[in-house]
Amino acid sequence: MSRLLALAAGRFYLRHPWQLALAVAGISLGVAVYVGVDLANDSARRAFELSTEVIRGQTTHRLLPVGGALPERHFSELLLDGRVTRAAPIVETPVRIGGNGGPRRTLLGVDPVKEAGFRDYSGFVPGRGADFTRLITEPGTVMVPESLAAEFSLETGSSIDIWIDGRPEPVVVVGTVRSIAASAETEPPLVTDISTAQQLVGGAGSLSRIDLALSPEQARSLGDDPPSGTILVAAAGQADALTEMTRAFRTNLTALGLLALVVGMFLIYSTMAFSIVQRRRVIGVLRAIGVDRRQLLGSVLSEAIALGAAGSAIGLVLGDVLARGLVDMVLRTIGDLYFGNAVSAADPSNWIYARGVLLGLGATLVAALGPALDASRAAPDSALRRAALERTTRSRAKFAAVLAGPVLVLAAVLLLVGSRSLVMAFAGLFFVLCAGAMLTPFATLLLMKPAEPIAARGFGLAGLMAVRGVGASLSRTGVATAALAVAVATVIGVGVMIGSFRTSLVSWLDTTLTADIYLTLDQPRAGRPFGPELLTALGALPEVGGVAPTRYFRVRTAFGEVGVRAAEAGPEGWGVDVVGADAGAATAALDEADTVLVTEPISYRFGLAVGDAVSLPTATGERAFTIAGVFRDYSTGNNAFLLPLESYRRYWRDDSVTGIGVHLAPGYDAAEAGQAIRARLGDSTGVQFRTTEAIEEITLAVFDRTFRITEVLRWLAGSIAFLGILSAVLAIELERAREVAILRALGFSPRELATQILTRTGLLGVAAGVCAIPLGITLAGLLVHVINRRSFGWTMDLVVTPQPALLGVALALVAAFLAGIYPALRGSRTGLDGALRDE
Amino acid sequence: MHRTMRGPNGIQIELAGVTKAYGEQVVLDGIDLAIADAEFLAVMGRSGSGKSTLLKLVGGLDTPDAGAVIHRGRSLNGMSEHERTRFRRSSLGFVFQFFNLIPTLTVRENVCLPLDLNGTRAEETARRCSEILAELEIDGCAHRFPEELSGGEQQRAAIARALVHEPELIIADEPTGNLDLETAERVLETLSLSCRQRSTTLIVATHSREVAALADRTLRIRGGRLEEAAQ
Repeated sequence: MSRLLALAAGRFYLRHPWQLALAVAGISLGVAVYVGVDLANDSARRAFELSTEVIRGQTTHRLLPVGGALPERHFSELLLDGRVTRAAPIVETPVRIGGNGGPRRTLLGVDPVKEAGFRDYSGFVPGRGADFTRLITEPGTVMVPESLAAEFSLETGSSIDIWIDGRPEPVVVVGTVRSIAASAETEPPLVTDISTAQQLVGGAGSLSRIDLALSPEQARSLGDDPPSGTILVAAAGQADALTEMTRAFRTNLTALGLLALVVGMFLIYSTMAFSIVQRRRVIGVLRAIGVDRRQLLGSVLSEAIALGAAGSAIGLVLGDVLARGLVDMVLRTIGDLYFGNAVSAADPSNWIYARGVLLGLGATLVAALGPALDASRAAPDSALRRAALERTTRSRAKFAAVLAGPVLVLAAVLLLVGSRSLVMAFAGLFFVLCAGAMLTPFATLLLMKPAEPIAARGFGLAGLMAVRGVGASLSRTGVATAALAVAVATVIGVGVMIGSFRTSLVSWLDTTLTADIYLTLDQPRAGRPFGPELLTALGALPEVGGVAPTRYFRVRTAFGEVGVRAAEAGPEGWGVDVVGADAGAATAALDEADTVLVTEPISYRFGLAVGDAVSLPTATGERAFTIAGVFRDYSTGNNAFLLPLESYRRYWRDDSVTGIGVHLAPGYDAAEAGQAIRARLGDSTGVQFRTTEAIEEITLAVFDRTFRITEVLRWLAGSIAFLGILSAVLAIELERAREVAILRALGFSPRELATQILTRTGLLGVAAGVCAIPLGITLAGLLVHVINRRSFGWTMDLVVTPQPALLGVALALVAAFLAGIYPALRGSRTGLDGALRDE
Repeated sequence: MHRTMRGPNGIQIELAGVTKAYGEQVVLDGIDLAIADAEFLAVMGRSGSGKSTLLKLVGGLDTPDAGAVIHRGRSLNGMSEHERTRFRRSSLGFVFQFFNLIPTLTVRENVCLPLDLNGTRAEETARRCSEILAELEIDGCAHRFPEELSGGEQQRAAIARALVHEPELIIADEPTGNLDLETAERVLETLSLSCRQRSTTLIVATHSREVAALADRTLRIRGGRLEEAAQ
């Protein structure tokens, strides 16, 4: 490219700092949101993986009890009969530190000798003052995480109370442990000797599990014939379902980040297109004196690269700042949804920054390509004529509207062909948004037709000029209006989706939570299930009208390790929201032998339908169950089946339960009943006691927190679109300086001019808002019925209320109106002489 | 039957039966014209008569609906867009009514632009720029931007830009239309003198009889047709 051409382009932007700032802002905000989300996601992923790794170590498999505890003798039997060579017994239990309401940690009881044999302490390493000899030889000694030691000022020899099952247990600190991953801040567990752990939880001779390092042959052999009352599960497999869920969550966030980038691209396109329009005379002159098309194309694309590089660099810095806020939100969400305790941030990969730059540059180049081609294709004489440009733009708007049809067809094909692919779903969604954007400029022209007589009647000639001005400057306003419509549609669509989800969740909670109070074990796998005597005792309380016991357990199936809930029908039925079938028939079928209901996510993921048979490992061997229905389940944790408690008792030979729904007797309230139940329970069990209202409150609080990040991202996309409309309006008004001066000369007052400008920008906002409503509702439909379905396997009802749509239109109107204020002030202050004198 | 109008020397540009219409309005209707080397041709006519259209066709900025524009025996119609660009870059210089200097380049940079586009070496570019700026007496404002110049200075800078790469044809569309009388006279003298010194063909579209008086030949467009005007 000619040095002088580059110089001319560079100086153009220096002379138009607002345009330069807006172009760079579009790129940098888009890149920032994308990079911020990517960094947050990456940190969450690493933290999740490290947490899993820290806990899992080199363990390949775990031997878990099926109901009840795991007898310690299984451990020695396994080693003695030679079926396994590397095994470590584990007792694991949740504890609270410093008080019953203190921070929750995991107490891991290990056999240090056997741990060192194969795990090499891969999950944790001894820290300051760690004394394994004392840990083994002295009962009641623990090693605590370094962070905990710092928080509670613990040193070797310090005493501290840890709370297990609601009772304090004094222990002595004999050193610290820290995570093996130096870059991660993942919390290691409190570590103690296995005998101390057994003593603390009151489970002498019992284990929580046995960790194993197995060869594939050993795993096959043990899996086929595990010790009685146990199942063998792959350690990695346990995380798979969670990994999938978190990946889906992260994919959704990434898609929102990319959406912000796409909206940013509109801004870049708008800015570049306008800069070309502004320089059309210069381009005409350059073409006349012999600058060829390739040179012009190169010149404009070089500008784009320079802008893209600057914007991306700023975007990386902003993205880093944004990530600090987002990572906390993502981790909280993943923690809330999937892990139940906090995971910490990890150092991000530099590749994310590189990807941000590449995407920023790529997006800029793609966005600039259209204007660059326009510039290069302009015939020398037509480049000098403004009217030709507007004529071309109007015919392009019509062409784009026609082209939107095939784009919608393409979107439909993508959505239908990739019936389970999330990527295809997002691609389809993208093309729907593109079609909406393509329709917007032409729709704006159509909307202005009926507005003309209204404006003329209301504001006279000035009003008429304002309306006609929208269509007359379509080359500037078209793309900006489309960008605003897409951003507002996103705000509407995501709002409707969140509203629909919340409504469905509330309805699901109402259906599911039929009891008044729920008692659940704090951590089913590690805790000791309730015995039948507790059910009898609770049922005998005068405050209690009835009890609905449930037994939650996890089993290894062909679909991975899944959660199973065994329950009884309460006074209000089974408390399940059956979908796609006759609910009465499905639950009635549960009374028949060997039937189960399957959750929607599992049904979707594995294509399980009513009438299919699934095989579950029971204490009496593998048994086939027939699926009688599919029910909604918005909980996490890979829960799969609901079966009658009777079936569980019969096939698993266990009459303990892990949860009890308490129905109040008439005339008693939850507080009274709660006191009586607590008194009956005493402090001897690690039980969560929650009323139905509390569960609903907590669930909705978690839900709202989960979608807070979505809110942040959609408002960021909206901000970028606001910049787009501001850029367009500024551009128009700057270019209209001469026209404004003429109007002033003709007798328009500054106030009338300002009103005219604001009317025009307001009309742009209305047009964008009106176009955004159908687009937003379509987007919501796709998010509800396609994206969520493919991400999580959930279905929900699309609930369209007027609020999100009205909010969207109001947002568009306010954004456009605000964007018009500065140009209105500027336009009204335009001097007569300068604007009229300057050609 | 077309009557070809010939100049005194060898033919550089020839228009044969050129017709151009904008929608229903026929602006040029079967024009035949021959323009000789080093000729100063003035084209007059009322606003909208087709003067600028004729200049655009001669300069390869537009193509006729019928007929041919031939430069040294080669039809511009038959050239590709790229070839027409090359033709303009090397053989033509333009002077516009509104100067059309690149606002973000200084006067010197504007003048250097055609040499830069033609790939002239930097030293040669610098030398020729300095010479032409001095010749047109605008070397004092070489490092100023167009907006800092008077109309006359801007138009002289535009003339310098049109001449610097020594094209064989200069096309000037109302070059004095935006200047006061005194300035217009000086600019026109400069333009015609510079072209004569270089034996450069000059075609000027104008309303001004004073301009026409300086030309070797004056043509008038009326009803889409060319007429020889009395000198």
